[in-house]
Amino acid sequence: MAPEAVLSHLNRADGSATYTHNGYCIIGAVNGPIEVLRRDEIPEEATVEVNVRPAVGVGSPKERHLETLLHNTLRSIILTRSIPRTLVQITLQVRSLPDEESSTGVSTSLTLLPHLLHTALLALLSALIPLSTTVTAVLIALHSTKDSKAPAQLVSPTANELLRAKPIRSVHVFAFSGEGKMLLNESDGAFSYEEWDEAAESAEEVCCKKDGGVGLGEGMEVDGREGQNLEDWLRNVVRTKVAYEQRWKSAK
Amino acid sequence: MVVLPGDEVPQDALPTPTGKKKHLTLGPGLRHIPPNTVATTIAGALVTDNKKAAAWIESNSGRYLATAGDLVIATVEKSAAEAFSCTITPHTPPASLPHLAFEGATKKTRPQLSPNSLVYARIASATKDFAPELTCVDPSTGKSEGLGPIKGGMVFKISLGMARRLLAGSKGGVAVLQFLGEKMGFEITVGRNGVLVVDGGSVKATLAIGRAVQEVDEQALGEKAQRKLAERVLKNV
Repeated sequence: MAPEAVLSHLNRADGSATYTHNGYCIIGAVNGPIEVLRRDEIPEEATVEVNVRPAVGVGSPKERHLETLLHNTLRSIILTRSIPRTLVQITLQVRSLPDEESSTGVSTSLTLLPHLLHTALLALLSALIPLSTTVTAVLIALHSTKDSKAPAQLVSPTANELLRAKPIRSVHVFAFSGEGKMLLNESDGAFSYEEWDEAAESAEEVCCKKDGGVGLGEGMEVDGREGQNLEDWLRNVVRTKVAYEQRWKSAK
Repeated sequence: MVVLPGDEVPQDALPTPTGKKKHLTLGPGLRHIPPNTVATTIAGALVTDNKKAAAWIESNSGRYLATAGDLVIATVEKSAAEAFSCTITPHTPPASLPHLAFEGATKKTRPQLSPNSLVYARIASATKDFAPELTCVDPSTGKSEGLGPIKGGMVFKISLGMARRLLAGSKGGVAVLQFLGEKMGFEITVGRNGVLVVDGGSVKATLAIGRAVQEVDEQALGEKAQRKLAERVLKNV
C-alpha cells in the first residue's frame, strides 16, 4: 500500500506534512529560512536544525541519534549556500506507531527512520526550501527461511510481517537521492557483504526511477501488493499539491 | 508541467529569447548550472512567459523571500541613526529604510514614523548575504509614486499567491473587489509579502471587505461564487 501524505495543513508553519504508512503516522513542520542565533550562525551556509519528538514520553539519546542521521542526510540535499546565515528548522512529531512495533525484536530506530525521512522531505517541499534533489528511503529486512541457507528479503515490511518472520537476522535502511546516489546506509544485525549488496540493489530499485523499475511488491516475498515506485509516489503527491493550489483557476 | 527539485528542464520547455532581450531570465525556483543546464530547486508548476523570455516555478506555500523591485508593506520597529528598522516578514532580520528615502526629505525635515506604523515601500536591494534595504521613493525621479506611510485601515493576512493575483489585476481573477467597489468606497494596499491593508471608512465595512478577500483566498472561489459573496457582504453592511 502506498503511503499517504497531506501537505501544508498547519497554518502557523512555513511548511508542513502529515505522513501515514503501515501504522506509522508522523507530522512534520518546517520553518525557514528564518533568523538564526549568532552562536549557531554559519557565514556562507544555512544552519539546519532537526528535532524528533517521540510518540510517548520525552526525547532520549535514541531520538538524538535519529536527529543526527537525518541532519547529515538532509543537509546534503538542501541548497544551504543559497540562503546563508539563516536557519531551517525541521520538527518531526511521531503521532502513532504500529501496535506490534515493540515485539518485533528489531531496532525501532531503524524501522522509524525511512518514515521520518519522507516526512521531513515532504515538509521541506511544502516550505519551498531550495533543494538540489529529492530523497527516498526504504527498510530491507533479511530473515532465514527453512528451505534455503541464503536469507530472504522483506522490502518495506509492516510490523506484522516482521513479527511473523521472526527471528530477523539483519535490517538495513537505504536512502537514495533523485539522481540515484546513495545518501544513507544504516544496518543492524549479522550479515555478509553479498547479502548487503543484494539488499542495496533491491532498495535502489524501489527508491529510484529507472526504465522498467521494480515496484514495492514485485518479485519480493510480499504477495498481492500493488507495486509503486517511491519516486512516482512523490511526484503524485506534488501533483496533488499543485492541483489544489491552482484550483481557483478552474473554479466557477 | 509539474516538477520536483532536481529535475532538469529540457531546452524546448523554456522560451527562446528573441527580439530585444538576448537572454533568458530565470525566476524563483530555477537555477542555472553552467554551461547549459537549468535545474529546479522547489516543487511546483513550471510557468513560462514568451514575451518577457522568463521562466519560473509557481507555488503557493512557504514564506516570502525578499526580492529587489517588489512592493511590500513593512512595519516600522524603531528608528536607528540614519534609517528606520522595519519588519517585512516575522522571524527574519529587519530591513533598513533610510530616513532620506522619502519624497521631499532633507537632513532637517525627516519623516516621523512611530513604532508599529505601516509603510508601503519598494525593496531597493535584497541579496542573500545582507539584510534587505527599502525605499519609499523612485530612485530616478525622486517622487514617491504612491509609496510612503499608510494612514488608517486594518491589516489582513493573505497568502502569497493571493497577493500576486491582486497585484496582477484582471489576470488574477479577484473579481470580488470590483463587485464591492460598485456600491462601496474603500481603499486597499497590497504588499507582495502577503499583507493587505483595507480602509473602508467604518469598522464594519473594513472588516467585511478584508474578510471577503480572505475567504476568496481560502476557498479559491470562482467568479460566480465571488459575486454571490459580494452580494452577501453588501446586504449585511
